[in-house]
Amino acid sequence: MSAILRVAGVDKSYGSHHVLKAISMEVMSGETFAIIGPNGAGKTTLFKVMTGEVFAEAGELEYAGQNITQMPAHARVAIGMGRTFQIARIFPDVTARENLVVAIEARRRMRRESPQPWFLVTPRAQTIEEADARLRDVGLLEKKDIEAKFLSHGDKKRLEIGIALAGEPRVLMLDEPTAGMSPSDRVETSELLGRLRASTGVTIVMTEHDMDVIYGLAHRILVMNQGEVIAIGDIDEIRANATVRDVYLGKEMYSADD
Amino acid sequence: MKLLKILLLAAAVAAFVSVPAWADQGVVFLAGLVIIETIFALSWNLLFGYTGLASFGHAAFFAMGAYLTGLALRTALGVPFLLLIVASGILGAVVAAIASLVLLRRTTGIHLAILTLALAEVLRIIISYSTTLGREDGLASIPRPSIDLGFVMLNLSHGTAYYLFLCAIGALLAGLLWVICSGPFGRTLVSIRQDPERAAFIGINVGRYRLLAFTLSGGAAAMSGALYAPWAQIVTPESAHWLHSTQPILASLLGGAYSFWGPLIGTVLFSIINYLTRGLVGASEIVIGTILLIIILAAPSGVAGLLKALGLRLSAGTTNEGKKQ
Amino acid sequence: MNAMDLLFSLTNGFATGMAIFLVAAGLTLIFGILKILNFAHGAFFMIGAYIAYTVVGTFPSSLGLYVLAAFVAGLVVAALGYVADRIVLQRLRDVDEAYMLIATFAVLLICTGVVKIIWGVNYASVNPPPLLDGALDAGGLLMPTYSIFLMVCGVLVYLGLDFAIHRTWLGKLLQSVANDSWMSSLLGINVPVALIATVIVSFFLAGLAGGLLLANQTLSLLLGESYLLLAFMAVVIGGLGNVRGAFVASILLGVIESASSIIMPNMPGMATYLFVIIFLVIKPQGLFAGHQV
Repeated sequence: MSAILRVAGVDKSYGSHHVLKAISMEVMSGETFAIIGPNGAGKTTLFKVMTGEVFAEAGELEYAGQNITQMPAHARVAIGMGRTFQIARIFPDVTARENLVVAIEARRRMRRESPQPWFLVTPRAQTIEEADARLRDVGLLEKKDIEAKFLSHGDKKRLEIGIALAGEPRVLMLDEPTAGMSPSDRVETSELLGRLRASTGVTIVMTEHDMDVIYGLAHRILVMNQGEVIAIGDIDEIRANATVRDVYLGKEMYSADD
Repeated sequence: MKLLKILLLAAAVAAFVSVPAWADQGVVFLAGLVIIETIFALSWNLLFGYTGLASFGHAAFFAMGAYLTGLALRTALGVPFLLLIVASGILGAVVAAIASLVLLRRTTGIHLAILTLALAEVLRIIISYSTTLGREDGLASIPRPSIDLGFVMLNLSHGTAYYLFLCAIGALLAGLLWVICSGPFGRTLVSIRQDPERAAFIGINVGRYRLLAFTLSGGAAAMSGALYAPWAQIVTPESAHWLHSTQPILASLLGGAYSFWGPLIGTVLFSIINYLTRGLVGASEIVIGTILLIIILAAPSGVAGLLKALGLRLSAGTTNEGKKQ
Repeated sequence: MNAMDLLFSLTNGFATGMAIFLVAAGLTLIFGILKILNFAHGAFFMIGAYIAYTVVGTFPSSLGLYVLAAFVAGLVVAALGYVADRIVLQRLRDVDEAYMLIATFAVLLICTGVVKIIWGVNYASVNPPPLLDGALDAGGLLMPTYSIFLMVCGVLVYLGLDFAIHRTWLGKLLQSVANDSWMSSLLGINVPVALIATVIVSFFLAGLAGGLLLANQTLSLLLGESYLLLAFMAVVIGGLGNVRGAFVASILLGVIESASSIIMPNMPGMATYLFVIIFLVIKPQGLFAGHQV
């Protein structure tokens, strides 16, 4: 297994607030990598730097051997980095199916997979079929004709996962995928991600607060605090780690034991 | 639904074409203006309803096309009219492309509005002080052209002949715009309008698409100006005035900015209202202003949106009428 | 061009700047608190001018009457503003920027129509009152008294606003509402009242400006226009919502406007627009970005 994503010495400040301090880490191809830490630790900022939403002041980012430190977001997507947002962002005024059609058409343009010419108005049958297949994968097929703004929160998050996957990414970056979800939704999403991972072998990088979801999915965990990496390892290593324990002071991490 | 739309469209085309048969020259002139202003409004809405960028200086493109064509026809250069239309389109497109490199760094509504307004004003000032372009008086006595198609010569000097030409070319341009807006390009633009960041994260190069949209929009607007010059037979700096820039805005919002044919509905309504209130000074502003307000406050998707909502109800409404976001 | 010309140009520019500021003041205030860029501001300015004209006629008999007419105009327009706020502006608070601009433009249209109906489309012109008619000689520099009057007015309005906003409890209240209206209401501040107060003051300023600037130009429907565009640009350049910024920007634009009639006499107004375009491209946030009100 080789590293598909490499972060080296990344530094980021917002004004005088030094949010990321020389962060270095690697994500292996095919694994599910979780980033956790208390609020304000810098997880979201690190996530944003990796996806291209913001740019670091120092350090390097490498994806599949390619230097992507200054690469704009849309280019990263083109080379295989998909993402979802913490608060589900979908295209509200169009139907669920159309959300996917747009994502698929965008991918076909990016990867030059016989993209749709401008003068062909309706999406190709192939595109629609794929859109429906992906909707089925995330459990939204019956809702394909509903305008996305009318979907429930959980449905929106699932739609977003579908949209991200439509880009056929090699790495899927999920920003708190179960945030704001009811417990049953969380379980469903967790299972969904597990299934998708099994069928496509996609690498997953996620920030999360829900430890059950992490225990269920993550291979390795990175713990952050105050802009620094305080531990990296698999679940058992992290749970045994004294520094991590101090930082979390016996929070949800350990509640599963009781 | 689709069949109904096609029928309505066919009826509209027939209505336009039939005007010379039952109306006097004055009304024919107005109908021709409606066609021209519709293309202008459609070009503006490509940018607003589809891409989410509000330009407050679109009249500048219109004026470019109008003056280029007007000048060429007046000085009898011998350039074929169809070529002049295309040339105007290219001029508008090129200027739009260059301008958008400057403008699109600041796409927030207010800044873009002021910038486009200011740029259009600069153009208007340049035009009104240019002796070649007739200064404040503009270019008058622009002759109506003839089109040499090789196998036939179309003499457009007579009002009705030019009007029918307007119908044909209007339909062509509108049709082209429809294809562009309804296909994958349009779908991409609509995504950009709804959430530019999300669009970037599915691999869409937002900057490049906005540039393209602006370019197409400017080109189409310039072409509408090119059609205007021989129709009105006079072009003045008023064509570049910011009040003219507001016309496509009003029309698109009135008719529905989120539907392709909204600007057509809006332009027609706008003209009808103007015509009906022409007796009482000030009435048209009040009526239009009030309707516009009502639309923005109560029905932002305009007449088209209302029709669509009604249409949905007519077809045993299926979607759950959820609350607005 | 000698030193005297330069001085004249600068003082003239300052006077023009004050005229612009009188129009811009209300505009920036309403933006700072309500986040609405009111296109209709120009229409209310115009209505103010027409009202003052109705009171004072073509030959205002005294300076006192002239200023009084301006105040009356301000009050009437403030009342109209209150009505406009109840009906329109309140509903625009959470609307998309572009729609907000278009909605206030719709109000502008309606006002234009009303003015046309009541006062007709004819041009009218008002002379300055006797005290302001003429010029003052300051060591070789000939300044129209009216210009000096405008300068005084502009500075007074600025000082008044600045004092009110930064040194009175009402102003501090408005500042907190501008920064975070939700938080402010939690703190017990009557937010709706503060907002309405702002609207009323802003419209009062528009009407007042209309009355004060009456003698400066021909009274017609196009009145709003040239000042309005300049005022908008001053507001945006100064930093939306920032009164100090608007003041400085107005002076800047006024001086450029004045200088351009000497440097570029062939194309009046060009220099100002070009300056605005270049400025906005380089520094879109404005002069005093980040400082609300």
